[in-house]
Amino acid sequence: MKKKVECKGQNKFYVLHFAFLLPPTLRERKRYIVFEVISEREIAKRELVEEINDAIYSLYGDVGASKSRIWLIGYKKKKKDEDTGTDVGVGILRCAHDKVEEVRAALACIHSVNEARIGIRVIKISGSIKGATRLTKSFLEKSSTLKHQISN
Amino acid sequence: MPNFFDLNVHAYPETEVPVDDMLRIAKRYGYAGIAITNHDDTGKEEKEVLFTPISNFAFRGVEIRAKSVSELKRRIKLHYGQVPLLAVHGGNEVINEAALKDSRVDLLAHPCGENVEGEVSHVLVRYAAENSVAIDFNFNPIIRSKRGDRARILWKMRENLKLVRKYKALAIITSNARSIYDLRAPREIIALASLFGMKKEEAVHALSAVPEGVLKKKWKKKTEVEII
Repeated sequence: MKKKVECKGQNKFYVLHFAFLLPPTLRERKRYIVFEVISEREIAKRELVEEINDAIYSLYGDVGASKSRIWLIGYKKKKKDEDTGTDVGVGILRCAHDKVEEVRAALACIHSVNEARIGIRVIKISGSIKGATRLTKSFLEKSSTLKHQISN
Repeated sequence: MPNFFDLNVHAYPETEVPVDDMLRIAKRYGYAGIAITNHDDTGKEEKEVLFTPISNFAFRGVEIRAKSVSELKRRIKLHYGQVPLLAVHGGNEVINEAALKDSRVDLLAHPCGENVEGEVSHVLVRYAAENSVAIDFNFNPIIRSKRGDRARILWKMRENLKLVRKYKALAIITSNARSIYDLRAPREIIALASLFGMKKEEAVHALSAVPEGVLKKKWKKKTEVEII
């Protein structure tokens, strides 16, 4: 059975795809973790994903990792931060809303990526992706404005 | 937010990292102060750098690494009254006992050894509570190790925590950082502490109130110490 969906000015596929999304009441609750990475050299997104997965699996096992539902949404590099004197990158990690502390511990356990030493610090936890991206942008443009937020 | 302190950080000249870099990163991570505790037996030139005042943010400290009890006593006598924080490099059971019995010592760093090989008995923790020597929970091995090793370390820490709770000894959390990449922000450390059953309030206490009290010699008897 194929139903033809008619929709003005919109793509047919888009509408079909939209129909498969869960209704808001059935969706799982999430949190977006905005974190910064201080590293010896530039870190690629793929390397970081592998390392975060490895940390989560080694700390909580397969079952625990499946419950935390982590997903790296984005990672951007900022070349040579003046404040730290090292390479700094900012990323957004999505996870389950009740597993934030567990994921935070796993992030703290990461100490190197392919023999380059790194340190991860969580900047902020956001409930929406809008807030998380806004924070990331402001961090990449100006780190001084964020320092004020962290100190409070 | 309470003031967070990290009382066991190694910097230049023991490691290659300059003190300024360490302080900048610690400030960025939200610490109110860190103590640079280099080992006292690493070199001659160190002494000149060690005893120059750094800033209000960083506290000078020394970590005594001794091979015998008599050597430890001699070193404690040498450094006592000279630095705000007197730490002892733990690991050896004999040294641990001698350090915990001495009320001049402020902090016993990594009592189970740097890679948590040894153990701390209930008798030693009782000495620590009597003489108000802080017992250190060192987080560097948790970060660095994996799988079997990490499981063993967490198990040891859980046992230590049980003893500390029982005898109401002073527990303190440090990073034992040797580079800027070893430092972790306070909230991350609190999350790591929950891995071995430390409650959030306990972890905050061990990161803020206890280190501050140790630096101010809050729990020492008045006749025994002079505040620098």
